[in-house]
Order: sequence, then structure tokens, then C-alpha cells
Amino acid sequence: MKRFLILTKAMTLMHLRNGYVLFWNFAFPVLLMVIYGAIMSQFMDYMTPGVIVLNALSFGLVSSSTMMLEMREKGVLRRLQATPLPAVQLIGSYLLVNIVIGVLQSALIIVAGVLLYKVNVTAMGLLIAYPMILFGLLAFMALGGIISGVSAKSGSATAIGMTIYFLLMFISDMIFPLDMLPNWLQNVVPYLPAYPVAQLVRSAMLEATLDPKWMTHILLLLAYGIGATFIAAKLFRWEPKT
Amino acid sequence: MKQQSMIDVKNVTAAYGALTALNGVSLNVQKGEIFGLLGPNGAGKTTLLASVEGLHKPKQGDVHVGGISVQADPVATKRQLGIQLQKTALLDDLTVAELVEVYAALYEVYLTSKEIDSLLARFDLVEKRNTLARRLSGGQQQRLALAVAIANDPQIVLLDEPTSALDPHARRAVWDIVRQLHDEGRTIVLTTHAMEEAEALCGRIAIIDRGQIVACDTPSALIANLKLNSMLKATVELPLDQVRALPEVSAARYTGQYLEVESARPEVTLTALHELAARSGRSVRDVALRQPNLEDVFLKLTGRALVESN
Ligand SMILES: Nc1ncnc2c1ncn2[C@@H]1O[C@H](COP(=O)(O)OP(=O)(O)OP(=O)(O)O)[C@@H](O)[C@H]1O
Ligand SMILES: [Mg+2]
Repeated sequence: MKRFLILTKAMTLMHLRNGYVLFWNFAFPVLLMVIYGAIMSQFMDYMTPGVIVLNALSFGLVSSSTMMLEMREKGVLRRLQATPLPAVQLIGSYLLVNIVIGVLQSALIIVAGVLLYKVNVTAMGLLIAYPMILFGLLAFMALGGIISGVSAKSGSATAIGMTIYFLLMFISDMIFPLDMLPNWLQNVVPYLPAYPVAQLVRSAMLEATLDPKWMTHILLLLAYGIGATFIAAKLFRWEPKT
Repeated sequence: MKQQSMIDVKNVTAAYGALTALNGVSLNVQKGEIFGLLGPNGAGKTTLLASVEGLHKPKQGDVHVGGISVQADPVATKRQLGIQLQKTALLDDLTVAELVEVYAALYEVYLTSKEIDSLLARFDLVEKRNTLARRLSGGQQQRLALAVAIANDPQIVLLDEPTSALDPHARRAVWDIVRQLHDEGRTIVLTTHAMEEAEALCGRIAIIDRGQIVACDTPSALIANLKLNSMLKATVELPLDQVRALPEVSAARYTGQYLEVESARPEVTLTALHELAARSGRSVRDVALRQPNLEDVFLKLTGRALVESN
């Protein structure tokens, strides 16, 4: 346990001291709010949950893996592999730090929304929204783990992650309403990972209620989360592909 | 002292895809030894250490550390080892002191800040204790890697080219540290392609070439067993076949601008060499006599020079 704590402290310090990681983790979400606000300041009540989900998506698919991929590329993971530290502890500590970062990001977005655009939030709304955000984060991060596993280099991981991110962003009822999409796509989207999170977080934050289909959404996210975690664990590598 | 085997490598074959990096390697390191792996680039030194460290799974053969099979219980074998990899890669967004603390903790060894400082003092890194590892110079990083290697107070220390990036002064300092670790009763295995390092530090040496151990003994026995003659060194340009025909000469070659002549009786050979040179109007300069060394042993065993002549 003490080992896990010291390792987690080290992981936290590393995330806080890396300028690149710091920017994408903490400045970027706020920047996102400023950009959306500049375009549609009067719809920010409606937009803020969407920004939270989009941010969680890009964080889960791309940014949350940055440090791990960097460690893999530099040979740090190999050095750690030579110690008796179990892989579960390493990954567990890394995930813990990144889950906290993901949650902090959503808090930053909400604070920015309230301060900059007087976005309406209620305590009840947040109480319901946070577990939903967490479900989303976990599923997205697990999917990001698969991307890291299949990518030879961190550059290709970012490219794959960003591609999936943009695809999901446009079709998951956050930028464009679902009924603008072709029929066949409308039938597929609800089964993709971003849509259920968007529905859950939006109804929590806007109406302080659970989405009518919350059960389906959560089950789907659990399936994504658990399935992807399992696959990501299988694909985990201590070294870059050569 | 009772012999106790700390590292036992039996008939190990290791490969990267189609490339065979180790071919039937066996060796045994006893408690308290400084054991050297000497070989040129690509010989398989790092791969051999990696199979002891549990980082590379051999295709064939067994590796035991402290009597425990690496394959059967890697956590137990890793626990006994202190490791410095050839490529230094630590968590470099941490400070020097944090790094030592974290790496010790990974072995469930928890150091006080006093203990961390006294460890850093051995490596002349106390002033750098609060500096981020990535801001250290190459040599300082290498010293830090050594400090991290012994942070868990290991009985066995594996060092992969511990002095490769160091200036001569720092290199001697590392030699002193290795000797200290040895005096503390630890077992040390190090790799090097510098024969003077192997000679200066190691009680026993395995000469490794193209994935095989071609000889393994004390440095003096390696030299003595091959019955190598003294080496006569001089600056003179003469055809090698004529030099080889001189009395008592067993071998001759040029390394750089030096003529090196192996001779059972150097004084006789030298006289003849002077005569040969005089006949073609040349003179023999910078004459020196040296005892055979590990470089010569390697050349004799493999037919190639250990370090490309420069
Ligand atoms: N990860 C790898 N993938 C493929 N081949 C490798 C890998 N690592 C080493 N090799 C090959 O295995 C052989 C042995 O390499 P190794 O690193 O063990 O040599 P070495 O004796 O440590 O060399 P050096 O003195 O340069 O460090 C070399 O031919 C090398 O090209
Ligand atoms: Mg090597």
C-alpha cells in the first residue's frame, strides 16, 4: 500500500511538471469553453454538458495515454518492468491519477461556464451528472488503452485517437442534432460510446433527472468499459513495437 | 569462504525473431564476485543481462538468481537485483531525491531523507538532490542510474556499461564505487567493451562474442592460458610478411601506425627488426614492450579486434 502511495505521488508530480501534459489537461478544456462561448454564448447552458463530454472523450482517447506512451517510448516502462512492481499497481496508479485529472477537467469546465457565461447549474444536477461523467471517462479511457496497445508509436496513437474523436464528435448528437444524420447512421449512433454519455450528462445537468433510457445507456457504457479494459490489458506492452 | 551460486545461467539461447542473440550460453557467478562480461557491440551482453533480469524470455535454457528460477518466480528474483540498464531511462520529471525514493519503494524499501542523502553523497549528487533528473548532464544521469540501482540495497548488482558515457575521472570514481559495493559483500556483474576496465575491476571475466562465451576465467589466467608472448610495439613501415619471418616472431600486425609484433624473445626479435629496417634504409622508432592483455586474448580467440582500431 505504501508503495502504491509513493508511486501515485510520483505519477501525480510527473503529470503536474510536464508542460505539454499540463496544457492539454487543464488549459485546453477552458479554452474549449471560451471558443464555444465565442460562437454561441447564448446557448451555453445547452452546450456546457456537451463540452464536458467532448472533453472527456478527447481526454480518454488521447491525452490520458500521453504520459504512459512517453514512458513506453523512452524506456522508462522497461526499467520499471525490471523492478518487482506488479503491472496492476503501475497501471492502477496511473489510471487513478488520470481519473482524478478527468474529473477536475469537468469541474474546470463547469466553473468556466458559471463564471464566464452564467451557466445554470444545480446541486441536484451535479450530483446526478458526476457519476455519469465518471462512467463516460472510464469507458473512454479504456478505449484509449486499446489505442495505445495497437499503436507502435505515440504519434500514431494520437492520430488514431483524434480520428475517432472527430468522428464521434460530429455524429453523437453534440454538435449536430441526431436527426440531421442519414437514417442508417441514426440507428447506429446510440450504440457507439459517446452518445449515451452525452444523453446522460445532458439530462442530468439541464433537468437534474436521469435520461429515460438511462439503464440502457449505463449498461452499454459498462459493456464498453469492461470489454475495452480487458482488451487493453491484453494489449499492454512495456516496450514500443520495433 | 563457502561458494554460493548467485547467478546460474544454463545453456541459454535467446532470439529476437530470426536473429539469434545468445547461443547456448552457460555461466555461474559466485557470491562476492565482480564478474565482467567483455565483448564487442552486438555480442549479446545486454541480452544476457536481460534474461537474468527477467526482461527477456530465453527460447531455451534456465536462469536462476539466488537459487530461484527467473521463469518460475520473477518477482522473487527481481527483488534480489539492483539494476542499471544500458539505456538510462528513469522517471525524469522527478527530482534526483524523489527518484531514489520511488525506485527504492518499488522494492518495498522505504528510505528516510537522511538515507537518501547519504546514498546520493556516494555518487556526488547531494547538491543535485532537488534538480529534475532530465536537467542533469549525461554523466550525472549515469551516476544517478547507479544510485538508483543500489537504492534497494540489493545483494546482486547488474551494471550494463556503467562507465560508457563518463570522462576518465568520473570513470575512476565509478570503479571506486564498484569496488566499495564489492567490499560490502555484494555480487556484481558488469558489461564493458573496455578491456582495461575489465582488467582493473573484475575477478573473473567471460569473453562473449556473437552470442557465445568463448572463454571464462580470471584475467591473468585468460592471458596465461593462451601462452601469449610479449608484444613489441614500434613505429616503422615494413612489409608484414618480412616481419613475420623474423626470429621468434609468432604474429605481427599493424594497429594504426604502430607495428605490433608478438615474440617469445623480444630482445632477439628487436635486433633482427633493426637490421631488417636498416637494409631498406628505414629506422625503428618509439619502441615499447608490453605484456599481453585481454585485447590480445580476444583477438586470439575470435580473430577480430575487441574495439575497432581508431
Ligand atoms: N530489441 C531488439 N530487437 C531486435 N534485435 C535486437 C534487440 N536487441 C538486441 N538485438 C540484437 O541482438 C544482438 C545482441 O544485442 P545486445 O544488445 O545483447 O548486444 P550487446 O553485447 O549488449 O551490444 P552493445 O555493446 O552494443 O551494447 C545484436 O545483434 C542486436 O542487434
Ligand atoms: Mg549492450
